[in-house]
Amino acid sequence: MIQPAFTPDAFSRRAVLAASLALAGSGCVPRADAGAVRLWAMSYEGDYSPMLMPVFTRQTGIDVDVQSLPWTAAHEKLLTAHAGGAMPDVMMLPAGWVGEFAIVGALAPVGDPSLVSGLVPATLDSGRYGGVHYAVPWSVAPQAQFYRRDLLAESGFAKPPADWSGWRDMGRALKRRRPDEWVFLMPLNWWDMLFTLAGQTGAAMLRDNSTRGNFTSPAFAEALGFYKSLYDDKLAPAMLSTELQDPFAAFAQGQFAIYPRSPAMLLDLHRRRAEIGPDRWGVVRMPGPRGPAAASGVSATLAVSSQSRRPQDAWALVRYMTSAPAELHFQRLIGSLPARASAWDDPQMQAPVLQPFRDQLEQPVATPDVVEWERIRIEVQLVAERLVRGQLTMAEAMRTMNLRADAILAKRRQLVSAGRLA
Amino acid sequence: MTRQQRTGWLFTAPVLAIITLVFVLPTLMALALSVTDYSVYALADWANLDFIGVGNFTALLSTPLFWRALGNTALFALFGVPMAIGASLAAALLLNDATVRWKPLWRVALFAPYVTSVVATATVWQYLLNTRYGLINYALSLVGVAPVDWLGDPRASIPAILLFVTWKIFGYNMILFTAALSTVPQDLMEAARLDGASRWGRFRHVTLPAIGPTLLLAAIMSVAGFLQLFAEPYVMTQGGPAQSTVTVLYFMFDEGFKWWNLGQASAVALILFVVILALTFIQTRIGRRFEWL
Repeated sequence: MIQPAFTPDAFSRRAVLAASLALAGSGCVPRADAGAVRLWAMSYEGDYSPMLMPVFTRQTGIDVDVQSLPWTAAHEKLLTAHAGGAMPDVMMLPAGWVGEFAIVGALAPVGDPSLVSGLVPATLDSGRYGGVHYAVPWSVAPQAQFYRRDLLAESGFAKPPADWSGWRDMGRALKRRRPDEWVFLMPLNWWDMLFTLAGQTGAAMLRDNSTRGNFTSPAFAEALGFYKSLYDDKLAPAMLSTELQDPFAAFAQGQFAIYPRSPAMLLDLHRRRAEIGPDRWGVVRMPGPRGPAAASGVSATLAVSSQSRRPQDAWALVRYMTSAPAELHFQRLIGSLPARASAWDDPQMQAPVLQPFRDQLEQPVATPDVVEWERIRIEVQLVAERLVRGQLTMAEAMRTMNLRADAILAKRRQLVSAGRLA
Repeated sequence: MTRQQRTGWLFTAPVLAIITLVFVLPTLMALALSVTDYSVYALADWANLDFIGVGNFTALLSTPLFWRALGNTALFALFGVPMAIGASLAAALLLNDATVRWKPLWRVALFAPYVTSVVATATVWQYLLNTRYGLINYALSLVGVAPVDWLGDPRASIPAILLFVTWKIFGYNMILFTAALSTVPQDLMEAARLDGASRWGRFRHVTLPAIGPTLLLAAIMSVAGFLQLFAEPYVMTQGGPAQSTVTVLYFMFDEGFKWWNLGQASAVALILFVVILALTFIQTRIGRRFEWL
């Protein structure tokens, strides 16, 4: 393209101009792997998906270009891509986003019913919106609590108690023993803890055909009160995850004794076993008001874009990735549990460390099926943060949550009352 | 039209066309969007789009978070502009002194943060500002100050981000000031010194009038820049703790791109546009009074 750099001519103005034009030009030309099916996935799923692809490419001859997105930017990236006509062929979507992307017309309905049969019961609804399957359930990641065996033993606990009050008492005992450290790792901008608690008390968080917030119910108050008490007792720090640069290291170093998390933690525990050996941690189900109950989790699904120019290849990729062997391979890689029921019969799934997640699968938290839910959850968590920081009282916080939810649901209310939305 | 005028139009036409395409047109479209309730439902079906007049603006005025964002942005600008310009001017004056050696080295070192990626530097600063292990709290502990929870305390988060932003951007204005300082007439400076003018007197009556126009430019750019602060809180705190670092632009980004409420977001953009325009107008009026324009 340009002359070799060792001749002085290479640095002439003309050569530089030619080079920069060539560079600028190359930015417009489609990438070398234009023949590849594009896949977007979040976090570990995105990072480790490329390792599933050699088998797929060998079987079908289709190349796959995987793009990993961070969770914090995934929602806006996908919506912007849809509006701009730049959707990938296949995308990972958490169950809660399927409805939203379905109503904006971003997803192609699942054509082959065999893709959505033979699933673990907990994932049945995760790809469905308005009775139509728009996405194929891929994995389930319910929350469980990872605990420091050694730290709990110091205070005389073999494992965390399964009921709220026992759990909090254990926290207090640990705090008394090590007053400079914390017990529960639950940053104020992670919604999963509060919504696990609310799911456990059975709080229905929306009312009137999901057009208004319902955060002043006694059930929600009970959950919120317990959530707040953990911070009031200084068992958890009033901090955001942005302040905790490396939560895993904080857990490994003993700054926290309990880390509620999805099975993806198993990947970290394996990869970073030099920091914390397998004898120093354990995992059990989240505590409930009176013993184990529901817990939040993220169900991941795979969907095909309605704009995809190669739907057949895209569906082939979805079929492969949601097949039992691929899901089991992925389970070994990143920990998340298979959505395909037949995969659960494999000996690999009988590992004792998976038992709590296996049990938890039977009891997922029910979440409202409205497109605004993602935003409402974030707003509610923001209000909960202000409550914990003492900027609001319980009554004020719950009223504010209702107000914010009502404001977000205004358009939905209007459409429902006009009969344009069920 | 004379031949010369025609040539003039011909030469400016490409630029004017681009400005129309990427500035005037989007502004008009944003104006049009701001009077609709464009949301994710409208993205699904245009039939769901309604004209709501000034509805977005009245809704904004009754949104507590919008007022909070305005207040936070005002705080950022109020403290950030003097901090940034003061730091730039001080650094430029120091570098301008004849006794300073290795000037190019200092210039590069102080300018480097400006051209480094925000995300990379913000991550480094997150470590510096860490409550437990951070260098800044360590330095403070040497003079007996208790650890400050920089990014976790709603009262400390704005100062922490201001520190970072000032460090990040002061290099640019420093270069502007260095250039301006080299135009300060040396004979005038020497005459003032011979007449017994103090250091402050020389700065006030010889240096300042010479760099006035540059100062005005720096002020206008800094005010506009601070009012559009976004990337730093986005990377460092995501608007937290307790939404204490949500700026107007952050609010707009969340509404517009995260939740696709483009009607509401356009209204925010318009308000910000008017505020920046008004402040720039006031600044140029002040500049004109000092004959800096």
